[in-house]
Amino acid sequence: MKHLFILAGTDFKLIFRDPSLRAFLFFPIMLFAIIIWFVPSLIEKYEILEDYIPLFIMVGAVENTQMFSFISSMVLIDEKETQVAQMYGIVPLSRIQFLLFRLLIPYSFTVLLNVILLLTQPFVHISFIYILLISILTALIVPAYVLGINSIVKNRMEGMIYIKAFNMLVLVPFAAFFVPENFKHVFGFLPTHWILQSIELVSIESPQNGNLLLFLLIGFVFFAGVIYWLARSFFKKHFS
Amino acid sequence: MIQVKDLKFQYPGSDSLTLKGLDFNIEQGEIFGFLGPSGAGKSTVQKILYKILSGYKGEVMVKNKALNKWGKDYFEQIGVGFELPNHYLKLTGKENLDLFASFYKLKSQRNLEQLFEQVDLLDALNKPVEAYSKGMKMRLNFIRAIQHDPDLIYLDEPTSGLDPVNAQKIKQLILELKAKGKTIFITTHSMHTADELCDRVAFIVDGEIRIIDSPQNLKTKYGKEAVNVKLKTGENQEFPLKELGCNTEFLQFIKQGEINRIHTMEATLDEVFINVTGKSLGV
Ligand SMILES: Nc1ncnc2c1ncn2[C@@H]1O[C@H](COP(=O)(O)OP(=O)(O)O)[C@@H](O)[C@H]1O
Ligand SMILES: [Mg+2]
Repeated sequence: MKHLFILAGTDFKLIFRDPSLRAFLFFPIMLFAIIIWFVPSLIEKYEILEDYIPLFIMVGAVENTQMFSFISSMVLIDEKETQVAQMYGIVPLSRIQFLLFRLLIPYSFTVLLNVILLLTQPFVHISFIYILLISILTALIVPAYVLGINSIVKNRMEGMIYIKAFNMLVLVPFAAFFVPENFKHVFGFLPTHWILQSIELVSIESPQNGNLLLFLLIGFVFFAGVIYWLARSFFKKHFS
Repeated sequence: MIQVKDLKFQYPGSDSLTLKGLDFNIEQGEIFGFLGPSGAGKSTVQKILYKILSGYKGEVMVKNKALNKWGKDYFEQIGVGFELPNHYLKLTGKENLDLFASFYKLKSQRNLEQLFEQVDLLDALNKPVEAYSKGMKMRLNFIRAIQHDPDLIYLDEPTSGLDPVNAQKIKQLILELKAKGKTIFITTHSMHTADELCDRVAFIVDGEIRIIDSPQNLKTKYGKEAVNVKLKTGENQEFPLKELGCNTEFLQFIKQGEINRIHTMEATLDEVFINVTGKSLGV
């Protein structure tokens, strides 16, 4: 537990002392302002947008994960590029502990952001248990993203390129809402598809609970598998 | 302390062996050195020993236990001074050291100021590492490696990138660590460092060890057991060390004029290295 707080403290120092990372801490505030004030006023003006309410909620929830996906990715890339990462390979700290201590705070914080967002969004009422489940699932984007980026890139430059690509990748399953109903699950090969589908179900009037639980379950299993697989390749690379 | 038998290693994606079957032992309490030119495989061996590289072949025992059987308590006992400075640039020297110290069960309260003082970094204690020079960062590497009082210390090129004064200071500290009973494994491409520090040195070239012995033995064995006397007149002559005091020719020679210098003909470690390996240490 001591290590968790020491590493979290270090990460916050690293973030606050780097202007390009610090700026990103304002990202959720912007996002909340858009979802809570700007979108409702937009819908008031253009009623046709009402049909798209589930999409606005999805964008909000997914984008909420992008702050820490970006920040934590950059912190770890920097650490790898400057070879400080090697130090974690030679101290009495297991790799699992390292990962847990590094990602638990960004993950938990992202869960919290989504709980707040889903509670305060003015469009639909969602029961708290679903808010919690969806937030816990959606925030898994953070570790998957951070491990994915860090398993691929070698330095900041490459990092910026892949981060742009990943930002789009998480949003690709939105296309499912613009293809005929029968084809929507072709996007199921991307784990974020199951997040979006779950959010759609809770943001329509009478959710079919059976499907919702199924989608959530697929999402959790899918993310667990992806994170496990990415963590292994991350472990092989990060410390050497 | 360490026994290595037939150690082989190939980097993934490389088409030949980087280490071609090394055999060596490191005794408790000694300073053991790898001397060799850049690219010989010195760092690779150390990385295997501190478990940053896996996938080697051969047998490696540390403290009577196979290296791959050691768990994370191995890291309680070792200290690693990396070849290149690696610190969080946005953190101060103190923050960097405190962070990594926090992972150990410290045996005794360490005195951070004293550590910084020893390597002349006290003024920089609370400065961000990005404001440090390369030499300062290297000295920070050194004190980070020893701050938790490890028994077994790996130092990869501990004096490279340092000015002569600081290099001397680090060498002195390494000798003090040995006096405290620590076992130290250094790598270097500098014959001076090897000569001044090592109890035993292994010459390593192209992933192979060519010879292991004490620097003194090597210099004697490959040099001539003789003295060279040079007079102010420029005249000079060699005399065997054996029974030098009874060598009348020698005694006559040194009386014959004013002496400019007398030196023994033992080889420098550099010369021995070329003699044994056919390669130069480079710079
Ligand atoms: N990560 C790596 N991948 C592939 N080859 C490497 C890697 N690191 C080092 N090498 C190669 O292995 C050889 C030994 O390197 P190294 O152990 O660093 O030598 P030294 O420390 O003696 O200068 C060199 O030829 C080097 O190019
Ligand atoms: Mg090296």
